[in-house]
Amino acid sequence: MRTDRDLTNNVNDLRRLKRRSSFLFFFVFLLIVIGLSKIIELTVLDRQEYFTESEKNRIINVPIYPARGLIKLSNGEIIAENIVTHDLLIKKSLVDQSSTEINDLLRILLEPGLEVQSNASQITNSSDELIVISRLSSEQLAKYQINKEKWPFVELKTQLRRFLPHKNVFSHAVGHLGEVTKEDNRQSQGISYRPGSYLGKVGLEKKYESAMRGKGGVSVVEVDVFGNKIREIERILPERPLNIFLSLNLKLQTLARQELSGRKGAIIAIDPNTGFIKALVSSPDYNPNILNKAENGFLYPNEKQKDAPLFNRAISGSYPPASTIKPFLGLLGLEERAIDVTTIIKDEGVFQINDEGRKYRSWKEEGHGEVNLHKAIVESSDVYFYELAFKLTVDKISNFLSLFTFGKNTGIDLINESSSILPDRNWKLGSIGEPWFVGDTVNMGIGQGYITVTPLQLASSVSAIATKGKIFKPKLVERLGDQDIEPELLFSIELNKKENWETIEKSMIAVINSWNGTAHNLYKEGGLKIAGKTGTAQIKSLVDQELTVQEEYEGIREIEKNRDHALFVSYGPLPNPNLTVVVIVENGESGSSIAAPIAMKLMEQYQKEILADV
Amino acid sequence: MSRRAPLDYEINNLLTNNSYSFSRVFKDLPLFVSLCTVLGFGLFMLYSASGQSIGMVSRQLIYIILGLFFMLLVAQLRPESYKNILMNSYWFGLLLLAYVLINPADGYATNRWIDLGFFNFQPSEIIRLLLPLSLVAYLCRRESRPRMSDWFITTIAAFICFYLVSRQPDLGSGLIVFVSGLIPIFLAGLPYRIILGYLVGLAIVAPYVWSNLLLEYQRQRVLTLLNPEADPLGTGWNINQSQTAIGSGGLTGKGYLSGTQSQLDFIPESHSDFIFSVIAEELGLIGILAMFLLYGFIIWRVFRISYQSETNFERITCSSLGFIFLLYILINVLMVIGIIPVVGVPLPLISQGGTSIVVHLLAFGVILSMKKIYR
Repeated sequence: MRTDRDLTNNVNDLRRLKRRSSFLFFFVFLLIVIGLSKIIELTVLDRQEYFTESEKNRIINVPIYPARGLIKLSNGEIIAENIVTHDLLIKKSLVDQSSTEINDLLRILLEPGLEVQSNASQITNSSDELIVISRLSSEQLAKYQINKEKWPFVELKTQLRRFLPHKNVFSHAVGHLGEVTKEDNRQSQGISYRPGSYLGKVGLEKKYESAMRGKGGVSVVEVDVFGNKIREIERILPERPLNIFLSLNLKLQTLARQELSGRKGAIIAIDPNTGFIKALVSSPDYNPNILNKAENGFLYPNEKQKDAPLFNRAISGSYPPASTIKPFLGLLGLEERAIDVTTIIKDEGVFQINDEGRKYRSWKEEGHGEVNLHKAIVESSDVYFYELAFKLTVDKISNFLSLFTFGKNTGIDLINESSSILPDRNWKLGSIGEPWFVGDTVNMGIGQGYITVTPLQLASSVSAIATKGKIFKPKLVERLGDQDIEPELLFSIELNKKENWETIEKSMIAVINSWNGTAHNLYKEGGLKIAGKTGTAQIKSLVDQELTVQEEYEGIREIEKNRDHALFVSYGPLPNPNLTVVVIVENGESGSSIAAPIAMKLMEQYQKEILADV
Repeated sequence: MSRRAPLDYEINNLLTNNSYSFSRVFKDLPLFVSLCTVLGFGLFMLYSASGQSIGMVSRQLIYIILGLFFMLLVAQLRPESYKNILMNSYWFGLLLLAYVLINPADGYATNRWIDLGFFNFQPSEIIRLLLPLSLVAYLCRRESRPRMSDWFITTIAAFICFYLVSRQPDLGSGLIVFVSGLIPIFLAGLPYRIILGYLVGLAIVAPYVWSNLLLEYQRQRVLTLLNPEADPLGTGWNINQSQTAIGSGGLTGKGYLSGTQSQLDFIPESHSDFIFSVIAEELGLIGILAMFLLYGFIIWRVFRISYQSETNFERITCSSLGFIFLLYILINVLMVIGIIPVVGVPLPLISQGGTSIVVHLLAFGVILSMKKIYR
């Protein structure tokens, strides 16, 4: 039975419970307010931000890289392509732990007879991966696939590498690729290369990098938290890279390389009427496939190291033009009326500005006797051109030669072209710090002293004689993708007297064709009619006035690298020349016996090629 | 109260279609219906959160049916009849806690589970219910008001449970168990001067606990909470992903089964502790508010039963269980939105987990058993 007192107690208890509950509810209310405001902040105020965040979580952009554009000759011959290679990699951090397994792997895969050596030291600089075996042969690949459970720590990486089927033949024209550096990424506007990717470092590979690289596409992929691909949302196809087609001629290039093998030097063969290059060789050369990591082996033989095989002599080598400059000076002499074809100079082997002055000696001790311009070019009289240069003065010479691209970049579609040196008064004051002496002008008359040429520039200059004044920009690429590349006229030289071209050309033809020509050794009855000029560039000055030139040179040639460079410039066949050939053989000593025959062979080969094409 | 009772009776009669036995079985039909709605909603969301796993949903359904069955069974009992059992169930709870500390189940990093072969459960989940119930039963064992010593005994009893659970080690659950024990003590009328004494004591002991008793990862959890963005892939990663899910859902959500954070597994434990993020992402703020309203209705019904009851034991039990239910919801939501540290508390009646569902439904069984039916 309940009493009143119970009832009162009960009411009091209920009141207390409600009071205390309200107290707790107050806290609960506070927490609810905090929670709700946070939820509203998340879902309403910051919604966009979190939505973006959630999209970033689930969507990733996977770049699609197109295979690099191919390099071909115009006849379709492949010069540079992409091949699939397989490398075995291991994380650097795992190398020590798994050294026995690696040894095991090497033992199984590298059985005798397989040529690959362990390149355990070869580290790709982009990551912490170590290449255990690079470029597996198909046999090795099969062995690896069979046993791969044994080596869970080793990763097989398959990728495309640049491969030049002709290896060294096109090395200096095509160039090679290399792994991207920070510097590369800074220079390439807009395109960012992912670490470890390869890009053109030199040659056409670099010059046409953006064309051959194409533009990467993107695959927009939805992923889960583990990075597993759920589906592809969108795909932006990569822009197809362009193939490039070269004007080079395979047989000519191969022949030129073969002729220079074992020597240092450069050969340029160029079509004077268009500027398209038919052969570009610098010797020694290297195997770009090694740098492209498409092949195992040596970049070049060790003993070639001192001859700088990576240096492209054809576009960057600086040589004195020596006697090859004489036709240009002769032309200037005629233009300036300093001489005419009948002007005769008595060549007794020595030229002196005045009686007490220094004796400028001729390569031919006894001199050429009485010489006119024709004989001076054919027999390469030094004294004649000493005197002519002296008469012309450096200002006129420099101005005139610069019309022929002396001292300039030709603008060939390669990188690292050096400009040759065409000295004048200002140049000497600026570069040497001395005023110009008349003696410098005299020296310049035979292409010695400060003046230098690059083989490519010399070829352009000679082409101007062949075309009677037209110089085309030298080009290697004839077609880019579907687009033909047009020849580009750089200069057009107008002479006061057009016959002067013929006068010089006749003399240059006679260099080969007449019995006293310096390159008469090339003459063949019924052979090609070509125009040429030999040159023999001194490296070491002949200073001893007591000894004869011959005697002094005998001492100099004891050291091979002091021997004269052999030069030969030529174009032909006349009357419609289609090829200019410049050959420079370092320390080759004789333009006529070393350089000239090479040029002739190329000339003959090219005519055959043209006939074959037609 | 009594003024509104006849109305309630009429509503009950209306809902139960004048069936006397029907209202007797379900006791409080609106509460029962809203519980079933939340459970159904939970299954619906679990299907999405589990990556559309029928297996997980059916397992959950079995627990729900089991839980509802026991709930209704308990609802039929008279509170007086199990008061003593409840009082002594404290010892059973202690036994379970001691057992997991001594015999850890294999396969778990922490000693939280008891493996019965067919059924694994966490004693800490059970003690959350047993502790408050036993404490209320103890405090209300006499008609008169509790004595001074009773307050200390119950506080110590709660502290022992806290200590054992936090040794598992699971500090978060330990604290929740402790608070679950303190709520009934407070509601039963713990004198304010004792409360003051406790607070002073706590202030003295807390620094020592922080530096000596807490494990490194527990300290880390607390610190992470202070600045989760500082460490996006470390301990704060879960919270960042959870907040991203909730925020990206916006007002109306991304649509059922279309939450990218949930479906692509960016939300950790999306089917259990973090199911709230899935609801928020897929159903948006509106979905969350609807869920809160449903929870609110349940809590209102619980307190209604409490205030209509006639004994202190019934009143305090119902209120305590109501607060504890509320506490769990709050802790889970505040944890998922990143206001409090990550503690292993599922969202009541919705998160996947057998023990949690059954224990919560048993609690509602106790509440229903205290419902006065007017005849």
